[in-house]
Amino acid sequence: MSVLEVKNLTHTYSGNTPFVNDAVSGVSFTANKGEIIGIIGHTGSGKSTLVQHLNGLLKPTSGEVFIDGENIWDNPKEIRKIRSKVGLVFQYPEYQLFEETVFADIAFGPKNMGLSGEELKQRVLETCKIIGVKDEYLEKSPFDLSGGEKRRVAIAGVMAMRPEVIVFDEPTAGLDPKGRENVSEIINEYRLATGATVIIISHSMEDMALIADRLIVMNKGKLEMFDTVENVFKNGDRLRAIGLNVPIVTRVFYELKAAGIPVPDDVFTVSRAVEVLKQIKAGGGNA
Amino acid sequence: MLRDITFGQYYESHSLIHKTDPRVKIVLLFLLIIFIFLAQNGFALGFAAASVLIIMLITKIPFKLYLKNMKAILPVLIFTAVLNLFYGESGRVLVSFWKLQITTDGVSRAIFMAVRITLLIFISSALTYTTTPNDLTDAIERLLSPLKFVGLKNAVHTLAMMMTIALRFIPTLIEEAEKIMNAQKARGADLENGKLTERVKALIPILIPLLISSVRRAYELAEAMECRCYNGGEGRTRMKQMHMAGRDFIVLGASLVICGGIITLNILL
Repeated sequence: MSVLEVKNLTHTYSGNTPFVNDAVSGVSFTANKGEIIGIIGHTGSGKSTLVQHLNGLLKPTSGEVFIDGENIWDNPKEIRKIRSKVGLVFQYPEYQLFEETVFADIAFGPKNMGLSGEELKQRVLETCKIIGVKDEYLEKSPFDLSGGEKRRVAIAGVMAMRPEVIVFDEPTAGLDPKGRENVSEIINEYRLATGATVIIISHSMEDMALIADRLIVMNKGKLEMFDTVENVFKNGDRLRAIGLNVPIVTRVFYELKAAGIPVPDDVFTVSRAVEVLKQIKAGGGNA
Repeated sequence: MLRDITFGQYYESHSLIHKTDPRVKIVLLFLLIIFIFLAQNGFALGFAAASVLIIMLITKIPFKLYLKNMKAILPVLIFTAVLNLFYGESGRVLVSFWKLQITTDGVSRAIFMAVRITLLIFISSALTYTTTPNDLTDAIERLLSPLKFVGLKNAVHTLAMMMTIALRFIPTLIEEAEKIMNAQKARGADLENGKLTERVKALIPILIPLLISSVRRAYELAEAMECRCYNGGEGRTRMKQMHMAGRDFIVLGASLVICGGIITLNILL
């Protein structure tokens, strides 16, 4: 069942500059309940502009966005309600923290939705439980936390609104490997706990291969591809032509194949690579 | 919406006024403003107005941009003009009510004041439209440099550097503010509706992160400047040297002619 549908969306930034061009042009896609969709594309390909349409922060120049079958701009006065249905976590979300305590900061979103009292408290505690923010942090100042912890709290602030669709703009940017793993876990745990649809912008092809079900490939504001991870990463040449690439492990297998070793070229994750190599070993090199 | 704020209104064009040394432009701005206020009779003021219009034509800046600046100052202009209406000391009484009366003298005072303020806005706009903010601060630093002889050795450079940095970071801060606003809106913050007190409260989630990131930026910038051995103005040279060229003297001369014209008309008529 499709939760989110984008139809022929075009957005034109018309600043004072004579260089008016479409940041996003004619993009259509649908997202099903509970699926993870990755968005990849070179810098300036319109990824961030695209996702700001999903919760009504930007109004499309033309085209429509449907949530649960309803056009979000049917009633512009109610656009704030859409923002609790579609959560958007910006790049470096820790820069939006402002409250005195972690608890108050996570409560900001649900409070804006109209929750209060015990209900609000339950909501915050529940969210913290899902993504593993420890209770002892709740009374701390968010500014005393480490970078990775701040990011976790900031993400919790959006998740506490219980969005049906949650969008992340490069959620792992600027984190160390451990922090990146943590963020990926948080995202997955939220999805498992709530059945939400997840949309992630990322520059890491490895992460995408690992967690995404389908991929949107953006190029110069246009939708270049929208397909399963396998079908997208099969087109290595096409990806390279627009400044992207396939995961490193896939490149290794390309090289192996070029060197005359008979390996498949649909290896996108390390675990699959291990499997394939084990098979080759067991079969004496004739996989 | 934040991007609509115009600050540093430099308008790219190739005119004599654009190329004039910014120091000359600043000095002449003050000179012309003083002389506009010295104009005593209609002929002198008319001459000043004509001169300002000619300067505006030379800048090749669209006239509507000048009018845009007028719009902001219009309430002040009307207020001053109306106030002056009642200050006529002599002349025929036109209207009289309560303790107030409007005389022909008052009307001419009001018109004079309105024309003077208009000219003042036009001529200042001519400076800001034709000079980049950086050139302006450079010029101010150079013009204030004599202050170092009275014990304010570092103050002038520090002040100019502060102005340059402040100007440089305005677009950055606007961008940052927009990002934070979007992030808080995504968390359901309502910035557009509600009573005044609610709206002021709604600014807190934006101002606090903005303040924190400004402080962070300030530290980073200070460190980056120190890494490049910045230690204040002492012994510092400039990449762009300002030199008076022939055209600067022509502009200077023309302006002196305008000033002289105003004085002459004041005395003769």
